[in-house]
Amino acid sequence: MKARLCSLFAGLLMAAVAVIGTVPIPASAAQVKRLIFASAGFHESNRFWTIARPDHLQFEPFWETLLGMDPKTGDPIPALATKWEHSPDFKEWTFHLRKGVQFHFGYGEMTSADVVHAHSLLIRKDSTATLRAMWVTAEEVKPVDKYTVVFRFKNPIMPPSMMFAVQRSGDLRITSKAQWDKEGVEGLDKRPAGTGPFMYGGRQTGLNIVFKRNDKHWSGNKVDYEELEFRIAREEATRLALLLSGDVHIADLPRELHKDALARGLKRFQSSLAVDWVSVYMGGQWYITGHKHFDPKAPFANKKVRQALNIAINRDEMLKTVFAGRAELAYLSLWVPASEGWNPKWQSKFKELYAYNPEKAKQLLKEAGYGPGNPLTFEIWAFTEPGESEGPAIADALAIYFKNVGVNAQVQMQDWAKIRTTYRKYQSKNIMWPNIIGWRPADNGVRNFYYSKGANHHYEDDFLEKTFGEVLKSNDAKQRNELMRAIGDHIQAEYADIPLFWFRNEVFTNPKVVGSWVYPGPAAGRSSHFELIKLVK
Amino acid sequence: MPQLTTRILPWYAVPWVIDGWQKVKRYPLIPLALLLFVMVIPAIFAPWVAPHDAFLGSLSDRLQPPVWQSGGTSEHLLGTDKLGRDMLSRIIYGARVSLTVSLIAIFVGGIIGTALGLISGYFGGRTDSVIMRLVDISLALPTILLALVLVAAVGPSFGTVITVLIVLLWARYARLVRGETLAIKELDFIARARVAGASHTRIMFRYMFPNVVNSLIVLATLQVGYVILFESALSFLGAGLPRAEPAWGVMVADGRELIVTAWWVSMFPGLAIMLTVLSLNLLGDWLRDHLDPKLRNL
Amino acid sequence: MQRFIAIRVLQSLMAILVMSMIVFGLARLSGNPIDVMLPLEAEQADYDRLSKHWGLDKPITTQYFIFIKKALQGDFGDSLKYQGKSAMSLVTERLPATLELAGFALLISAILALPIGVLAAVAKGSSWDTAAKIIALLGQSLPAFWLGIVLMWVFAVMLDWLPSSGRGGLRHLILPAITLGWFQVAVIMRLVRSSMLEVMDSEFVKLARVKGIPEWKVIWKHCLRNASIAPLTVFAIIAGSLLTGSVVTETVFTWPGIGLLVVDAVRSRDFQVVQAVVILFAGIFILCNLLVDILYAYLDPRIRYQ
Repeated sequence: MKARLCSLFAGLLMAAVAVIGTVPIPASAAQVKRLIFASAGFHESNRFWTIARPDHLQFEPFWETLLGMDPKTGDPIPALATKWEHSPDFKEWTFHLRKGVQFHFGYGEMTSADVVHAHSLLIRKDSTATLRAMWVTAEEVKPVDKYTVVFRFKNPIMPPSMMFAVQRSGDLRITSKAQWDKEGVEGLDKRPAGTGPFMYGGRQTGLNIVFKRNDKHWSGNKVDYEELEFRIAREEATRLALLLSGDVHIADLPRELHKDALARGLKRFQSSLAVDWVSVYMGGQWYITGHKHFDPKAPFANKKVRQALNIAINRDEMLKTVFAGRAELAYLSLWVPASEGWNPKWQSKFKELYAYNPEKAKQLLKEAGYGPGNPLTFEIWAFTEPGESEGPAIADALAIYFKNVGVNAQVQMQDWAKIRTTYRKYQSKNIMWPNIIGWRPADNGVRNFYYSKGANHHYEDDFLEKTFGEVLKSNDAKQRNELMRAIGDHIQAEYADIPLFWFRNEVFTNPKVVGSWVYPGPAAGRSSHFELIKLVK
Repeated sequence: MPQLTTRILPWYAVPWVIDGWQKVKRYPLIPLALLLFVMVIPAIFAPWVAPHDAFLGSLSDRLQPPVWQSGGTSEHLLGTDKLGRDMLSRIIYGARVSLTVSLIAIFVGGIIGTALGLISGYFGGRTDSVIMRLVDISLALPTILLALVLVAAVGPSFGTVITVLIVLLWARYARLVRGETLAIKELDFIARARVAGASHTRIMFRYMFPNVVNSLIVLATLQVGYVILFESALSFLGAGLPRAEPAWGVMVADGRELIVTAWWVSMFPGLAIMLTVLSLNLLGDWLRDHLDPKLRNL
Repeated sequence: MQRFIAIRVLQSLMAILVMSMIVFGLARLSGNPIDVMLPLEAEQADYDRLSKHWGLDKPITTQYFIFIKKALQGDFGDSLKYQGKSAMSLVTERLPATLELAGFALLISAILALPIGVLAAVAKGSSWDTAAKIIALLGQSLPAFWLGIVLMWVFAVMLDWLPSSGRGGLRHLILPAITLGWFQVAVIMRLVRSSMLEVMDSEFVKLARVKGIPEWKVIWKHCLRNASIAPLTVFAIIAGSLLTGSVVTETVFTWPGIGLLVVDAVRSRDFQVVQAVVILFAGIFILCNLLVDILYAYLDPRIRYQ
């Protein structure tokens, strides 16, 4: 009786193993028809005007913008527009379109009417496009002739903003008006027609999105492979597993896993430019005279406290450990050397003002009135988003550094929505939160984070309010540069936040399949220029 | 005819040692021992048993492997986590966290459920209907989902997790106690007590309650394991205990991206969960078999 | 009998209604989906505009009534996260994946639990019985997410026998199904064992043995048939447990089912989808309970009059 059961069981087990079997994994490029990229996930929808960067990854292959990005330098290069100019007062911008660009699926040639149409999508009621506030101020979008479009804005739009708008922000994706007229938004939901080196192939929500090579692309370049797939795999360990087992050919991995991935022979491709910066923002910093919610007793309202917290952190150690050395120090939030108002002196000022010095931190805290009997207490709120998993590790590390100088910092996991609601409603005076923010032009950043009309209120005071107000009114590039520099000086000197690092986008690839890839990084989808991937021969 | 057996005892076997051993063998030794070492001792004596501080670590010591792997030291027997904190100490303190959460949740949930079950079974009628409907709704709640939404609403904290657990647990106690109450209600001694003028409360707590205690103990023991699993699942989904606490679920969640490289960060807390819950389940099984075989459907 | 059914159906509907109120209130309490949707560049005017567009500026009771009115017509609103898709269409799109996973998990656990339960009953008290008990209990003691991660790592990466994530064919189902199903093995096994023990002692089995029917036929044909009814009683609980377990399993294996959908939806404050899923889960559970109750009432008339 028992013997029978045993043998039955054994039989079932053997049958199961036989069923599983093994499938040969393609290991050479000759067999790779479809290149698969494992992504941490993105909000899935074809309605690009409702999708925020970096989720524009899903549009990069098939929907193009007026200007492109040089893969090495990130500079604006002609794409769908070949020439562009502006009026002396910066209120009118003219774009000359490329002739002979064909939309996918036979929807005809791209003309200025399509650009006007794309703009109209950005200003819809349900639009959450990055620069909707700017696009709405376009008093007129005129198709002068078949290949020329003029944007006339109510206020002057300076070159950094305009270049951001038509290139890196990924807002103005040129989509077929003919398709919209014929099929409406349902057609766009089902199979959108773009102009890019790939064509939309279809998607399964929660699983993947597929693209097919466009052999008739206006650049004339031939992509090495036929199909491209973005597969969604939220778990970091899963992406590594997929890469190692050969199920996918490219994946982005958190820095924690880089060492091991390299040890296992995977190849790493880094973006040409820095993509995101991570800083820690301290709530409660609303110093504009007469501000309703300001509480002078809030922990971060004291400059000594902010300074102490900044110098209590050993940034070099954090860089080596939490980020595995794959980042660069940020001298202050938001600015890169190419940004408007960059001051080369910020590097040396940073060494002077923000150097690691826990003893001095303890001293400053004592001067601010805190000590062993009355420790400084606040909360650090950490969150994770797909592809941005370092938040909790940063928060934990900060808590340890702060504890070393006698500060009682409680780390709490929240989600992004909660953090944002809290600081937007001015309820954030007892919390700090690390945030990984994507590159943006300096004036865009100052408006969002350091100006009362933005919704983020990281640090606002009368000086910034006045100075940025002048920036907004100014047409003179030199004057703007000086004003922005003054703003940056002020932010760094006041310890407005805790700047940490800039980092680039890094992806790992199967060395037997992917030969080379150059991409800039701060495109709207972080990874971009998939057409430039060359397979191993 | 009773069977007689004689055993030839070795020369060193003293009769009362054999007797004592027979008595001890009646108790579920293995689960109790497991439970003692993995949960009770660590939880109560954590500060004395743990080799290091569970909250402090040094970034330069991060991700050290366990002592038996190359790179491991006897400083950190089970290795260190992402922030250089000693794994063994964290697991020991984690026992304290798990035990506290589950005991509070079961205690409070059990009291509420028992009280409502007694009331429901004893009074019957409308009260019974209402309470049983509440029980049904409570059992139908997709608890993990509601926990996620609740934590999204008020933020992760001890209180939130315990509240969710109480809402999850009370209904089972209520239903069990109600069933038992219904069975006892019609018995003679209850009727005699009523005739003697005993108040409702006195009857419920003095006469009925002692009869349900056995079942409650079995249920509670089985529930502790379930609560630990649920809490760690919540922590895994990011909706559990606050990060500051070295809860086992949080530790497994933290280490999940490192399962390739630093497997010990997830493996040991998961093992701790498993051993604890396994011993609790074995203990509960034994209790059920010995205290109240009627409960085999729990 | 009719009256009983009518009362129970009414009570079930009430339960679903209460559930909808709870999840509606909690979801709205949890924050604002607009905070997830808008880029950092957004200003207060954008918040107000989108609030109005999505109807979130109305008082909560008004929103609830609008929601109930539409829900009765089968419209659970539009997803805020997947723009362009309605909550119901997302649910129906993802439900087959979860049903496939849960069904397969149930199949595996039944296939495992039946023989183990029978073995444990037949060899009661022996080491086989204990071994069976431990295997089953192991399933109830392992944290599902940890088991999933370990299985994925051992079988998908180290051994490379099975795929590590996603949905595809039979091979993709195996690891998630084991992760999800092992928990149920204990429940089913315990039931099979105890009802087998009961049946094996009964009169007609003793009669069969006396009649000379071979032992294995007695066990498999006569006992098991009667013992199989017992697991049906906990079917509702098992269904609920499978649905709940799917949330964690789908997250680990990136299985595109309802569990993963709702986790994402909670994170994005996608109210409509969260409501739709919670009500669906609760509805399924309550329906199963209802059916079991009716079945029992049919079999045991005493229950009808309670």
